[in-house]
Amino acid sequence: MNLRLKIWLGAAAAVAVLGVASAASIDLGRIFDVGRDLATAATGLDEKEEIAVGREIAGRVLGAAPLVADAELQSYVNRVGRWVAQQAERPDLPWRFGVIDSPGINAFAAPGGYVLITRGLYEILDNEAQLAGVLGHEIGHIVRRHHITVMQKSAAVSAGARLAQRDNRAQFINNLIGTGAEVFARGLDKSAEYEADRIGIVLAARAGYSPYGLIEVLHKLAARGASDASLALLFKTHPQPGERLSQLGDALTPRMGQFPAGREPGIRQVSADVPPPAAQQPVPAQGARALQQDEGAAPAVRPGQKGGIGVDPGGILRGIFGR
Amino acid sequence: MFKFWGALITAALAAMPAAAEQVVVERDTALYAEPRLESAQVAQLKKGADGEVIGKSGAWLNLKLQGVSGWLLSFNVRFQVKQAEAAESAKESGSALGRLFGPRRSVNVTSTIGIRGLEEDDLRQASFSAEQMRQLEQYAATREAAAERAHAAGLAAERVEYLDGRPQ
Repeated sequence: MNLRLKIWLGAAAAVAVLGVASAASIDLGRIFDVGRDLATAATGLDEKEEIAVGREIAGRVLGAAPLVADAELQSYVNRVGRWVAQQAERPDLPWRFGVIDSPGINAFAAPGGYVLITRGLYEILDNEAQLAGVLGHEIGHIVRRHHITVMQKSAAVSAGARLAQRDNRAQFINNLIGTGAEVFARGLDKSAEYEADRIGIVLAARAGYSPYGLIEVLHKLAARGASDASLALLFKTHPQPGERLSQLGDALTPRMGQFPAGREPGIRQVSADVPPPAAQQPVPAQGARALQQDEGAAPAVRPGQKGGIGVDPGGILRGIFGR
Repeated sequence: MFKFWGALITAALAAMPAAAEQVVVERDTALYAEPRLESAQVAQLKKGADGEVIGKSGAWLNLKLQGVSGWLLSFNVRFQVKQAEAAESAKESGSALGRLFGPRRSVNVTSTIGIRGLEEDDLRQASFSAEQMRQLEQYAATREAAAERAHAAGLAAERVEYLDGRPQ
């Protein structure tokens, strides 16, 4: 290597180090000035802001799919969910749980303690241990701040966003949230999903349930396969359920001995008075999407009608995992 | 009297799988005599072997295959996609080309088999519902109410470490 290149590289390295150091001191200064905690250092938001972000996103999901009109069911899910959430490291968040009126199979964790589960997912659950496992997975996302971290990574990198972060918190938070509830359309890293699975198992066990409810639910999803329309978004935004089972198996097998057997209480059914979930109204198609829709104009089953002859959407694996 | 028999029959049905569930072994694994890793190994199973589930205990499945039966951890198998659903999926793929090349990727909203849930565009275009948020907050449970319900359901908190070794 010639001398000139060496000098040049050395200078570049020095600039890089200085740059990092000055960026770090600015960040630390800002954080200590306003007395923010360690979590703030990681996400750039304090807990109040995190809750405000989550409330906005959860409210938007509710705008797209309202709560199932069954007050008893909603209260029940809140009691189960809060009990599971009490077993994690952020018990004092304003935990809110809701069953939303969508026939798809999915669940959403908005930052700060908001957990929404679709009626489609709720109705394939056989017992409360399975519900606890699913809610535990979502609670895991919240206590480890998975979504807020992803939102920051994608929003806060632009220079404009950095300025807004210093000068105008409201504007900064709006940038962070983006349009609608897009963070749920994008999904998280696979590693965050695997981590939430491991947490879901443990939180269910701590709450006194069978730890294996989440595993049973993942088996149900795997057995439905990728072509099941009710799983379309979940499959786009999560690792395949079979892969999640393998990852959980690797984590669990050496630790099987530490888990109590736990209980599998019955689950509350959705009230018979509540009509079946309406399919979401397709959004207006544009451009290429419109073409695809014309091409695929298959007759749709009426909303709420069961999937077809011999298909029992709620019954898969019920023989094995059911009550 | 009828009630008694009804309860008995319900219990018997619950204890027994409704129909034989077929599974495929996902990775090489031992088959154990009992649902415990310390118990004797009765067979070594290869990936791809198929068997029938005859019982369940916690994370363990009791499996019968190739003339032997024993226990393995459920994450080592995959349940087979139900025939009825496979038929639905084939129907969905539509044309002969679809059958040749497999189901078309479900990129659109109307070619699905009927059930359509929230999708990406619904979420991107969603707008805040103050009325729904008010309801959500109204259903919230206090810590005390949640603990009381849990105890009534026979649940007691247990000490279990996280699997990744992080503090509680």
